[in-house]
Amino acid sequence: MIAEEIGQSELVLDQLDSTELLKEYLFGQFPKLQSMKFSIAINQQLAQGDEKIPEGAEIALLPPFSGG
Amino acid sequence: MEKERTPKNIFVQGPISPEKIAQSVANHQSKTDIGGHSIFLGQVRKDQKENGTVVAIEYTAYEEMALQKAFEIREDIFAKYPLTCMHIYHSLGRVEVGQLCLFVFTSSKHRRAAMDACDELVERIKAELPVWGKELLDTDEHVWKVNQ
Repeated sequence: MIAEEIGQSELVLDQLDSTELLKEYLFGQFPKLQSMKFSIAINQQLAQGDEKIPEGAEIALLPPFSGG
Repeated sequence: MEKERTPKNIFVQGPISPEKIAQSVANHQSKTDIGGHSIFLGQVRKDQKENGTVVAIEYTAYEEMALQKAFEIREDIFAKYPLTCMHIYHSLGRVEVGQLCLFVFTSSKHRRAAMDACDELVERIKAELPVWGKELLDTDEHVWKVNQ
């Protein structure tokens, strides 16, 4: 659903050192994201609060889960 | 017994067939230390939405993360309850209303462990697995499923 809003499903970004910086960048680039609920996974681990992003990390924006 | 220590695939393309469930039950007849099974089956509901009626749900997942998470949940539940067996199957892709999209199956010597473990597994699967359901409507629109 995030991909629907921002019109793409993958992005390659320059290094951003933390999830706060990442959010700031994404909100600037895709203002619609500001009103969406999502969590951030860094290399497939859910980030808790503001977390450091290692170089070359795989980042995923995860809307609320709705499996089952 | 059935205690693997590596992530195993839980995903099934399309609906889970009732025959698969029957077969799975039958497969446990040789495990004669089991005294009780507990089964949860999730079925796609024909909800009325503002812009139409649900005809199917299309499931997608962040698969690698979901399998790792399912593995962690599985390990937790095995550590917490004296289970003999545990199986989790979740659909990906399109599942029509009335069809099954989730099959959770636990077995133990005595019923309580199987029942409690099954309950907890279903709750955790819904809350923690990065899986999403897109509800497809009869009007060709869609809404994203929200878990209660």
